[in-house]
Amino acid sequence: MGFWEVTNSLLSGFRSTCLMFALTLLIALPLGLIISFGSMSKFAPLRLLVKTFVWIIRGVPLMLQIMIVFYVPGLMGVSVLPRFSAVIIAFSVNYACYFSEIFRGGIESISRSQYEAGQVLGMTKTQVFFRVILLQVIKRITAPMSNEVITLVKDTALARVIMVEEILKTAENIMTKGIIWPLFYTGVFYLLFVGVLTLLFGCAEKKMSYFRT
Amino acid sequence: MTILEAHNITKSFGSAKVLNRVSLSLEEGESLAIIGPSGGGKSTLLRCLNFLERMDTGRISVRGEVLYDSEVPGSEDGLREKRLHFGLVFQSFHLFPQYTALKNITLARELLVKKQPSYKDRKTELLEQIRSDGLALLEQVGLSAKKDAYPHELSGGQQQRVAIARALALNPDILCFDEPTSALDPELTGEVLRVIRSLAEKNTTMIIVTHEMQFARQVADKVVFLDDGAVLEYGVPQEVFEPPLSERMQRFLSHYTDQNL
Repeated sequence: MGFWEVTNSLLSGFRSTCLMFALTLLIALPLGLIISFGSMSKFAPLRLLVKTFVWIIRGVPLMLQIMIVFYVPGLMGVSVLPRFSAVIIAFSVNYACYFSEIFRGGIESISRSQYEAGQVLGMTKTQVFFRVILLQVIKRITAPMSNEVITLVKDTALARVIMVEEILKTAENIMTKGIIWPLFYTGVFYLLFVGVLTLLFGCAEKKMSYFRT
Repeated sequence: MTILEAHNITKSFGSAKVLNRVSLSLEEGESLAIIGPSGGGKSTLLRCLNFLERMDTGRISVRGEVLYDSEVPGSEDGLREKRLHFGLVFQSFHLFPQYTALKNITLARELLVKKQPSYKDRKTELLEQIRSDGLALLEQVGLSAKKDAYPHELSGGQQQRVAIARALALNPDILCFDEPTSALDPELTGEVLRVIRSLAEKNTTMIIVTHEMQFARQVADKVVFLDDGAVLEYGVPQEVFEPPLSERMQRFLSHYTDQNL
């Protein structure tokens, strides 16, 4: 196989990598926000439940979680999920839990007085959160979020434990034909992807540099 | 006309009694200065009036309408609307950092006006009105030139003046100040006090918690001396500041010898 042929087939694997990445973010970001509200709830049983859940998800290897989501329904006699859906569910829940802790840290770092300033102006709690607090939180958590998001790019490679095609899996398939270099070539794709993300996060930080929290 | 009546306000944090049966009343157009040592309950009293703290017992009425009465169940309802009777200016300004000076002033009204039934039809007109009112307020506090500046680009004194304009934007019946100059160096204190003084001259009803004794004496119509959660003195400045002084008041004022009382 020549360079362009390899590049082409790696690109098709990379497409699936990107799709996993995008779908996971799309689900995990709002889900993480909801989980963070749960972990800050004044209602103790809910808070305890959410914190236990976050402990379990953060405490078990992501690879194992993917296998659990895919295999366990079958073992229990329930219909098995499609492989790709199983991966997306495992990734989304796992990342949502990590995100939730970053969100919680960010939200709790905003001074109570910002809430009070909004309240005495007659704003509802929702208005204060979305109009006053949220952007300050986003500004504060951009750096730790960029870490997580970049980690996600590379964690998509775990999908191959349940035989979901992604770029590393594609390279491995080529390897069975006796060509090993495409495996290392995949690193370039990851690097470029992460490079673009780094630039985007840099832009976001710059965009929010007009105010200080 | 009596605008505010606060009756028997009591508030404890744990076992510490911060306010002990505090009562006061305020006439429309009057300004009331609350003085007293730190920890005496001054800020807590303001926070109770603004419903940021829930009083343990007590009753608050504005223009004869009871806003809160600890004896009456259901007093908690509609606190958000009730808050609008009061405005509060904080010691450390607490402007919203991501909004310009003008937007800090207009934001709350823009959100409130959305609930008007005619909002959809008159949106542009209403928002334009809010904006021009906001600009007028900025001019009143002398900051027209800073309308597009973000809080971190303003000095402490300027930030506090924007905060005053922000509190005025909702036209509160009673404007409260919680040590408005305590976070400012002396150079910047003057510009904020000038704004408050001009409000007093326009007969804005105000409650000012302050350590500026001279200012309290000159500007306030009434003075309350609060110590240990209780009202020890209450009257016009002449009564409170001039001899014969109570022993406690003497001790308190002796810390201010450098100020020309």
